Amino acid sequence: MWKAIFYKEWIKTRWYFVLALLLTLGFAGYCLLRMNRVIVFQGPAHLWEVMLSRDVIFIDLLQYIPLLVGILMAIVQFVPEMHHKCLKLTLHLPYPALRMVMTMLLSGLALLVFCFVSNFLLMGIYLQQVLAPEMTKHILMTALPWYLAGLTGYLLVSWVCLEPAWKRRVINLAISVFVLKIFYMSSTPEAYNSFIPWLFMYTVMATSLSWLSVLRFKIGKQD
Amino acid sequence: MENIIECIDLTHYYGKRMIYENLSFSVPRGRILGLLGKNGTGKTTTINILSGYLKPRSGKCLIFGQEIQKMDPVLRQNIGLLIEGHVQYQFMNIEQIEKFYASFYPRWKKEAYYELMNKLKVAPGQRISRMSCGQRSQVALGLILAQDPELLVLDDFSLGLDPGYRRLFVDYLREYALSENKTVFLTSHIIQDMERLIDDCIMMDYGSILIQQPVRQLLDTIRCYTATVPEGFELQPEEGLYHPSVRKNKLEVFSFLPAEDMEAKLKEKQVPFNDLKADKLNLEDAFIGLTGKY
Repeated sequence: MWKAIFYKEWIKTRWYFVLALLLTLGFAGYCLLRMNRVIVFQGPAHLWEVMLSRDVIFIDLLQYIPLLVGILMAIVQFVPEMHHKCLKLTLHLPYPALRMVMTMLLSGLALLVFCFVSNFLLMGIYLQQVLAPEMTKHILMTALPWYLAGLTGYLLVSWVCLEPAWKRRVINLAISVFVLKIFYMSSTPEAYNSFIPWLFMYTVMATSLSWLSVLRFKIGKQD
Repeated sequence: MENIIECIDLTHYYGKRMIYENLSFSVPRGRILGLLGKNGTGKTTTINILSGYLKPRSGKCLIFGQEIQKMDPVLRQNIGLLIEGHVQYQFMNIEQIEKFYASFYPRWKKEAYYELMNKLKVAPGQRISRMSCGQRSQVALGLILAQDPELLVLDDFSLGLDPGYRRLFVDYLREYALSENKTVFLTSHIIQDMERLIDDCIMMDYGSILIQQPVRQLLDTIRCYTATVPEGFELQPEEGLYHPSVRKNKLEVFSFLPAEDMEAKLKEKQVPFNDLKADKLNLEDAFIGLTGKY
């Protein structure tokens, strides 16, 4: 049955997934191209010098891309479920409701993780050819909270979308903005290094929120 | 006879507005029961409670002996649900939706679904979002028939359908329910369709059940009485006399009383009447007679 759930989620999200993959790889590739241009015109030594002396990481453009991709994934996946209350059909299936919701979230997360890992691989493979391992790690660790924000954004917006009452949706949205702000409090590279386990914990905790919305849906909460 | 649905003392409010109080009814196996009521009497509320998407303020609702909110998910294999407006996954096409549902139901009858789909003359790859309401109704019905549930819960099945599709839906459903001894609980705004389909009816008034009985028994006993009365005369409603009205000098009143009893009753109330006539009614007229036009 879980295969059928993945199948349904795949039908909803497949075109968006392709778009998200191309978009994120496109932006990551563009950032790498900018670095490559500096190397071609001014040499790798200049790139290293700029990075070390001015704390530049060259991938700032990516900062909000994973978040945007995660939010849109939740909208693409869960708005059709709430359209005409289609979620009733899903929850009526002879499959435990909690497992159903978690499988749906897992399918969205799996696609996002695939997308984000491909970004990291692209950046990692290129950067280790032109930079010292410490500098590659410096860039990737700076980007990691942004990608975690993408996953958390997906989970929080899923929570908002699945909520049956508009008033509560607005409250959930406000809480989501507040939580997501935590991921963007500092623009200093690697500022979050010691905080990453906490950010990861926020992401894991956000998984359970959608279930609260579904429980409210099941008891018929409305405006 | 074994009850498939049993609702006991259901009470529900939206905010401070009471929908109904201590509503109890049951649906025995193999019967087709229609829930009739004006807008706002709680038909959709009842369907939502029955399908587990609304928790009543008090009372309980049992299906196959289990409380719906705590029901074992596996038992839902035996409940076919049609949501108002024949809602189905709009993003799927005919083949995808069949493939999706088939995984959840062990008794899945693919051929029952495709038999109905072949009549639609739509391409297998056509998305449900691009279908007419009539075509969508056939997809929803086909999926329910393929699921082969013991109980069908249908919310306003005639909504948005033209007469042809309504007739097709009703005929298919009735034949299926009778041949397979299925239990059906349904609502519809179009009462003529109900008359062709249902065995029993529940008529709801604001806050309570007005009547619950077999349709045949209802139509055999209810009468519309007309008589000539002086202009300006008014007859007050009372037990046994439903929605009396006088237009010019014509009195109209609905009742389950036989003609002799009605005559006696009018005399007892000193109504100055002539030419008392009793007419048999169809289900729609009976519904209007019992619940009123307003």
